[in-house]
Amino acid sequence: MKLGLVVDLDTCVGCHACAVACKEWNGQSLMAGGAPDYDGHGAAPSGVWFNRVRHYEFTAQAPGPEQAQGCGHVNLSKTINVPMSCMHCEDADCVTVCPTGASYKRAEDGIVLIDPEKCMGCNYCAWACPYGARELDTDAGVMRKCTLCVDRIYDEQLPAAERQPACVLACPAHARHFGDFDDAGSLVSLITKAREGVALLPELDYKPVNRYLPPRAAPEVDTAQADARPANLKDRLRAMANRLIEL
Amino acid sequence: MKPALSVVFFTVSSGAGLGLLIWATLARLMQGSQPGFGFAVAMAGVLFTAGLLSSSLHLANPRNGWRAFARFRHSWLSREGVFAVAVYPVAAAFLWADAHALRGLALVSGLLLVALALIVLACTGMIYACLKTVPHWRNWQTAVAYPLFGLMSGALLWLAAISGAAADQALNDTPMRQGTMLALLLLVAGGALKLSYYLRFARAPALPSLNAAIGLPPGRVRLLDVGHSGRTFLTDEFVFALAREQARLLRWVALGLGFALPGLLLAFAPRWTAPAVASCLAGLLVERWLFFAEARHVVRVYHGA
Repeated sequence: MKLGLVVDLDTCVGCHACAVACKEWNGQSLMAGGAPDYDGHGAAPSGVWFNRVRHYEFTAQAPGPEQAQGCGHVNLSKTINVPMSCMHCEDADCVTVCPTGASYKRAEDGIVLIDPEKCMGCNYCAWACPYGARELDTDAGVMRKCTLCVDRIYDEQLPAAERQPACVLACPAHARHFGDFDDAGSLVSLITKAREGVALLPELDYKPVNRYLPPRAAPEVDTAQADARPANLKDRLRAMANRLIEL
Repeated sequence: MKPALSVVFFTVSSGAGLGLLIWATLARLMQGSQPGFGFAVAMAGVLFTAGLLSSSLHLANPRNGWRAFARFRHSWLSREGVFAVAVYPVAAAFLWADAHALRGLALVSGLLLVALALIVLACTGMIYACLKTVPHWRNWQTAVAYPLFGLMSGALLWLAAISGAAADQALNDTPMRQGTMLALLLLVAGGALKLSYYLRFARAPALPSLNAAIGLPPGRVRLLDVGHSGRTFLTDEFVFALAREQARLLRWVALGLGFALPGLLLAFAPRWTAPAVASCLAGLLVERWLFFAEARHVVRVYHGA
């Protein structure tokens, strides 16, 4: 198995619900060992997050001729919200560089985990990670990271639909999906294929598992047709109803 | 990268200690009785041990420090730890054989000690040179710098040790002249290496673009909001801000104090070995601090570089 996440950059609204749900679940999780806050209600709050959402502005460089029409607006210009957590790389350098063996990658499902009993808090794994997926818990002196909610996804006491990472369950925009990338028929494999999902920083060759679905160009709205008088009676009635509501 | 002072001190102090140990051992093996040898070995032990202890200050959970020997086959940090600890028994064997005039054993353990010390220094270099996430470090200069600077500062210390002993003993000047030549050569080589590192720095492979980092098609991307209001582990550790002018000044300080001034002192005032040592070590501390402070980690890209 090759478990991982798909994040849809087209539909993510940047609400941070995934990050908060992650804190909520893993803050008390025995498996993740906790995600502490420092000075949580003070002047300079900080803390450990396994999942962080950053916000970017994206503008397409060269609009095509059909996009340049209209009022001169570029078709694709939008805010891109990018949640990032551990990519559970197939060739995880964080595991390779760990001197204690506290960082490991599970052979059975590919999840990268940290054994807090072994970690000495040297930060070297965090240096080796290009995604900023690892953060030091200075309370316990050990490194923390996303576990893909390993204590949820196999829990048979939970209803089957809830055996998913907390971030996936919390996402109100359904921008996050969890599954097995080894299974060509799984949802994550299918939507990655259909939407040409990409890995982040593939050139570093860590073979990250998580995939990001790029933003789509919004479909052109034919304003001429929208303003035209509806052809059939049903649409005319509907248009009249709309006008009544707007009175 | 945040320059952790414990690591800066560790690499400079341990490096100098190992370099001194190497030269003291080689001189003992080649030239036999050598005044200042005992002092040099004691100083090497203090510098090396102080460095190792300092490195443990960098650990958030030092209780598990002993586990660092576990992943010898994968991790340069683990290899460094294993070889560093192995220095002690080998050094003890060499000193014991030396004290009891067991020439064969002294030769074997002495050469082993020299090799081991070089390997420890090389491992330290590889800890940084192997990281794909810091393009500035990923070159042969980084890997070579640690052994070379260790040998260089060690040679200066060795010179100071034998010149200190020479002050109260009638000593022929040959070891002094040889030591001075060696230290000068290493200072020139070290200075050239650091200069090439700095010259190459601006041309180092750039950090990936924000487009590649987020996996977006070609287009203009800029950071709108980093998503947190205060400091985080990531900004503390990787987004270390150093003004360009400050960095330029410190580069000259590092080159001047670490390499040029000790070289000039050796060339024109060969008896002034103590100031040369002090200047070199101070310069290397600045050099090591800058090595971290100037290096840029890929995570910076996500924070708007």
